[in-house]
Amino acid sequence: MGVRDYLRNITDAIWTIGDGMAVTASHMVRKPYTVQYPDRLPDGVRVQDTLPFRYRGILEVDLEICTACLACERACPIDCIVIEAKKDKAAGGLVMTRFDIDMAKCMYCGLCSEPCPTGAIHHTPEFEGADYSLESLVRKFVKEPVLAYKPKKTGETDPEILPILERGMRYIGEFAEPEGGAERG
Amino acid sequence: MGLAGFEVEVQRETDGVLATEDMTLSMGPQHPSTHGVLRFVVRADGEVMKEAIPDIGYLHRSIEKIAEKVGWHGFMPYTDRVDYVAAMPCNQGWAMAAERLAGIEVPKRGEYCRVIATEFSRIHSHLLSVGSMAMDIGATTPFTHAIREREYINDLIEEVCGARLTFNYMRIGGVAWDLPPAWREKALAYIDRFEPLIDEYDRLISYNKIYVERLAGVAPITPEDAIAWNLVGPNLRGSGVRFDVRRDEPYSVYPELEFDVPVGRGELGTLGDCFDRYIVRMREMRESCRIIRQCLRQLPGGAVLAKVPRNFKPPAGDCYVRVESARGDMGWYVVSDGTSFPYRVKIRTGSFAAISMIQKLSKNLMIADLIAVIASLDLVAPEIDR
Amino acid sequence: MQQLVDSLFSGPPPVPLWLCYLAAMLLFGGIVVFGFVLPMAGTTTWVERRIAGRIQSRLGPNRTGPAGFLQWLADGIKSVLKEDIVPTHADARLFKLAPYVVMSGFVLAFVAIPFGGPLIIADLNVGILYVTAVTSLVVVGILMAGWSSNNKWSLLGGIRSAAQIVSYEIPAGLSIFPIVMLTGALSMQSIIAGQGWQPWSWNLFYSPFTFVAFFVFFVSALAEGNRTPFDLPEAESELVMGAFTEYSGIRNLLFFMAEWGNLYVIGAIVTTLFLGGGHIPGEARLADAPLLRVPLQFVAFFLKSYLWVIVAIWLRWTLPRIRVDQMMVMCWKYLVPIAFVNLIGTALWMVFFPPALEPVVRALLTAATVLLLVGFVRRIRFHLRHARLRRMDLSFNPLSTASVPR
Repeated sequence: MGVRDYLRNITDAIWTIGDGMAVTASHMVRKPYTVQYPDRLPDGVRVQDTLPFRYRGILEVDLEICTACLACERACPIDCIVIEAKKDKAAGGLVMTRFDIDMAKCMYCGLCSEPCPTGAIHHTPEFEGADYSLESLVRKFVKEPVLAYKPKKTGETDPEILPILERGMRYIGEFAEPEGGAERG
Repeated sequence: MGLAGFEVEVQRETDGVLATEDMTLSMGPQHPSTHGVLRFVVRADGEVMKEAIPDIGYLHRSIEKIAEKVGWHGFMPYTDRVDYVAAMPCNQGWAMAAERLAGIEVPKRGEYCRVIATEFSRIHSHLLSVGSMAMDIGATTPFTHAIREREYINDLIEEVCGARLTFNYMRIGGVAWDLPPAWREKALAYIDRFEPLIDEYDRLISYNKIYVERLAGVAPITPEDAIAWNLVGPNLRGSGVRFDVRRDEPYSVYPELEFDVPVGRGELGTLGDCFDRYIVRMREMRESCRIIRQCLRQLPGGAVLAKVPRNFKPPAGDCYVRVESARGDMGWYVVSDGTSFPYRVKIRTGSFAAISMIQKLSKNLMIADLIAVIASLDLVAPEIDR
Repeated sequence: MQQLVDSLFSGPPPVPLWLCYLAAMLLFGGIVVFGFVLPMAGTTTWVERRIAGRIQSRLGPNRTGPAGFLQWLADGIKSVLKEDIVPTHADARLFKLAPYVVMSGFVLAFVAIPFGGPLIIADLNVGILYVTAVTSLVVVGILMAGWSSNNKWSLLGGIRSAAQIVSYEIPAGLSIFPIVMLTGALSMQSIIAGQGWQPWSWNLFYSPFTFVAFFVFFVSALAEGNRTPFDLPEAESELVMGAFTEYSGIRNLLFFMAEWGNLYVIGAIVTTLFLGGGHIPGEARLADAPLLRVPLQFVAFFLKSYLWVIVAIWLRWTLPRIRVDQMMVMCWKYLVPIAFVNLIGTALWMVFFPPALEPVVRALLTAATVLLLVGFVRRIRFHLRHARLRRMDLSFNPLSTASVPR
């Protein structure tokens, strides 16, 4: 190693170290990126409200618009959705007795919400699901046997169901429409 | 977990009166270098290693076998987990394999969305790679800067597909979600912000004398060795071999895009050393930015998803699909028997070949260099073990 | 210290004089160690973590106490309450003794370190030699820790550390010699007395050789303190914590305190030797008002020393680690020859350089340093400009990516 290389080593070291120190010093005066969740958020901000509409958080089922088509149960790769529905002539259609989603198994892939015809099963921006027992992670949506929803061809008129249906349709509207129309249900 | 199955020959030498013996160390499954759960059995003579034997399998999740149970559509979320650091190319590989078997054509806009997602994933992965490499060499700051940039990409992709790590974005026949309104402007704003930060990163760490001294000339891999040992991606290109699946066996819309393929030139050391592999990744990030800009400009209208039956049954046969993942040429060999469940899926990943080369590379390296080599080969354990 | 005790008693004291001196020294030593050294070592961890946080675009500790100031206290209490683990096949006596050897190597240095003005526990006439000698005790402690842990990784770390510290003693010592030659004495207070409060009267700017000697000394001192870029003995990515891997609880705490407190020792030595100690402008006029003058001198000295602590922290979070063999090359092939050149150069300068031109050289060197600092600040602003900081950087991130209302 000649004298020139020796001196160049020294000057390279000094210059690059100095430049690196200038970069880190410039960072010291920049605003940190940290968001202090959950207790020091800016006033009135809930992180769940700032998430995008398509965010795949914890699953939720709006039983008012669920048609019991079982498309979500078939689509789930992990079989974490269990639905029991039976045709009941007296009630006038399908009656659901069980709709359980095991959130401990769910991998938040979104494959269940895609084929839903009304958007009843959808992901919410909720992500705070931690709990102390494994059993509490199984979400049971059916409290008492309920009649499945029948979509009306002329459009929904019930003022209680309409907003839920609109939200559901908006959710599944986010999904890309395949060429030739979506196959739902 | 002893050394069962590892016949490590410990050599004793009697040098005059002093008997010396090799030290056998286990760089155990948990160690602070973030490359996943890998284990190396190191036989060292003090600081200098005689060999480092990799031990894999700690992250094996039988993903290939699971495919045979969940079916064609259901396997898409699992492909994310094959390499969760760069998940989009894995999605794309699976989708392309199924499409090739069934003869489905993806609409143009869908292909563009795929390329945008893949390139963002490539930047994502390279940021983690260079960040953890810097951290392993000792500088913790570039790692946090890289992670900060990754967070912005996470936010962008979260708006498109709803998840930040396991995207499940693509489907057989296209992509599941179209780009939301105003996303294009946000993505362009981000790329505008990101490109100067690559320069700043260079100035902070890439050409830092100490960093260069740690990496230059360490474990050079000659181009012939690289090809013989099956290296792909930035590892191969770092040794000077200009091979990139996007350019040499183009798929999707890459033929319509203009980009360079950076290779290592041995500028600050030997050709194919750790520094070359590192600098190839930095340059690839810039190229990915270029590709994303072109895609966002040329994005056509139309559908993003072709019609694919829910009960997907491709005709019996097999196909081999190659995609350029962040870690190189990722091969998907899929065999279908005509039912709605694949018969066999085999994934060929770049890290698997790279880790097999470590035993050869580690002769006469120092233990500190072993860390540099592991980081420069960009090994990720999920890809190795699947 | 002697004068202080003498001035307390007007007549012969009730107990033998030597006992008074001993009691005074122990008392002062205790005050210094428990009142200054340990809290300062703890506070330095807080400063380090906050600075590290800002450099890394994040906050440091900010919950315990105002701005996280009590975090070190909480960590200390936690360490004391932890289970005391001695590995099964470890050499228990050496294992338990090692932290105390390291701590003593570091605390003993405070006997001869000035705190500004007349504040010094004992102004030994071999001051700087004593400090250099006593800080080498840590080598013994680290070797003991590495060996007795019965862990190959710790052994590697201990040996690397020993090699490093012993090697870098040489350039450190060689860089002290020019200053000693200049002052003609080894005593710390005499070295300070040879400088003044103006920057150009400091030893740093005496000649280009002492200027370079300063940097050689600072780098060697960093290496002796096991700080990045020389922290391979504690390299996290390979050896978890090097020689100290097996330590937990209070023993761990002692090692860390020794490391951070050592930074202050380095800063204090550098301030004494090169940066004029605790001189303040207007000292001569305040000679009769010690109650006003001494605190000011203390503050001046402390600020100058702490500046170098902050520079060491800044370097730690910027630079990667040097490998062991490269570290040895740097010591023996770069620092030692440069230190020798400095030594001989300073000697020749003292003999042959015309004294009339001395103020010119001092003024030139001071001006050059000021220009360098200005250039550095401009480079920082260049980086800020180049990063083209936009709204994205300055906003609360989740809000900036919220797309459509729910």
